[in-house]
Amino acid sequence: MRNAIRIILGTMRIQIKNSFVRPMYRFCLIVNPIGNTILLYYMFRNSSMSNFMTYVILGAGLSSLWECICFSSVGDINRERWYGTLPVIFCAPAGFNLIVLGKIIGNTVLSLASMAITVFTAKLLFGAGIQIANLPGFIPAFLMAVCTFVVISQVFAYLLTLSRKTTLFMNCLSIPIALVCGFVIPAELLPDWLLPLSYSLPMTWAVKLIRGTFDVNFTGKEYLLCFTVQLIEVLLYTIAFQLLYRIIEREVKIKASLELM
Amino acid sequence: MMDCLKRFFNQCWLYYKGSNAHLDWEDLIFYRISIPLITLIYYCFIAKNSFHTDQLTKWVIGNSMLLCNYSCVFTIGATFKGERSYGRLKWLIASPCSRIATVVQKGFFFIFESIATVILCIAFGSLLFGVNFSNVNLGLFAIIMVIGILTAVCFGLFLSVFPLLFDSMNLILNLVNVSMLILCGANFPVEDLPGPVQFLSWCLPFTRSIEAANMLFGEVDKGRLLTLMGQEALVGVAYLTLCVALFKVIEKTAIRRATLEIF
Repeated sequence: MRNAIRIILGTMRIQIKNSFVRPMYRFCLIVNPIGNTILLYYMFRNSSMSNFMTYVILGAGLSSLWECICFSSVGDINRERWYGTLPVIFCAPAGFNLIVLGKIIGNTVLSLASMAITVFTAKLLFGAGIQIANLPGFIPAFLMAVCTFVVISQVFAYLLTLSRKTTLFMNCLSIPIALVCGFVIPAELLPDWLLPLSYSLPMTWAVKLIRGTFDVNFTGKEYLLCFTVQLIEVLLYTIAFQLLYRIIEREVKIKASLELM
Repeated sequence: MMDCLKRFFNQCWLYYKGSNAHLDWEDLIFYRISIPLITLIYYCFIAKNSFHTDQLTKWVIGNSMLLCNYSCVFTIGATFKGERSYGRLKWLIASPCSRIATVVQKGFFFIFESIATVILCIAFGSLLFGVNFSNVNLGLFAIIMVIGILTAVCFGLFLSVFPLLFDSMNLILNLVNVSMLILCGANFPVEDLPGPVQFLSWCLPFTRSIEAANMLFGEVDKGRLLTLMGQEALVGVAYLTLCVALFKVIEKTAIRRATLEIF
């Protein structure tokens, strides 16, 4: 256990350094949250919604967080392939799974800065802050959201290992997921036929739960329902990704495709 | 003369083909059709719920125009970066051909690609969000669209010169794209922005085209419409002139600093 934590922490440290030196990541981490906050503020400020700043800050923060994850964690395995280090970490005695987990946690932790930048931008440019109505509920909701993003990133990262079109899929995942999971506007406002897809993604419940903690009318029963569904979906995705990992590991060994560009 | 023209168009086609050669049909459908359409739907949905309106004409038109940024800003803006990766940049700089021709060749076929993107997005957005074209002068609308796209292509060419000095072009191009989403009036009126920022808006392509195109769906003020179109064309000419002038200056600086092939 101690060894595993050491591997994860070491990988996280390297990953944070590697990610931050990439200009595109710095754009997603710093510029994108500022741009999103300004755009959403001007779009929502005449919306006559009393809590419009909550939509602006959460919408901009979560969209930016997702973009950071989408353009880093999801493509990380492919990036290792380009660096030529994929076979090395695949065969490392530390374990490929643990290394990838460390990379994704590192990215997610660093990407959380985009949410802080959103809050700071809203305060600095528009003098607006947000009031958390249910602070004791917000902390577990936030931690659960971080876990959700880590698990989803792993699923997508492993899935994209099978493809050589990572850049294409990263671009294709970014906006549709933000739309379907209701990062900016609630998922309930989407067409009915999209709702099953929306509810099958744990990020939708993570967003609902976090947004709920800013709303005084969000009941404890609703909180519990969102939390439970999110937890179940996260567990299901974790099981799915473990199965996926076994299949991919087998495929990679048979086809020797780790270094195929 | 004919030989020169033929060579010019051959080069235009070669650049265009080269920029798309790595894409297969699947990539083309996703990059050129799916991603722009999903982006359009995303911003229209946000507008529908933030402005509480079902009349999404303004957002369909504005965002459709901005979606040709993928060709005009990202692809054209990165052309010299591409040339550096292919190893052709030094030959291009050393060649005795006209700098204006070199720059224009890179944007020529993207004009048609951008027109196709805008038409596709407007057609799709109209079907999905019920934009009514029955009282719109389609000829005038097409002219506004073409002027806007030409200006954006000139803007893209202006941006394409900077990779001769910098290696972080993706950062710059993404920054420009986000700025255009905020400043061009596609998602909220330019007048909502603070005064000094509005000045920046009017320096960008599409700000006037979007206002002119939206005007066609309501009461048309002919004087204002002509002014907007004229100013938009002037902005394009200014960017093209700046591009050619900058190209010459940056070329000299890049040779002096030996940054032509720096990655």
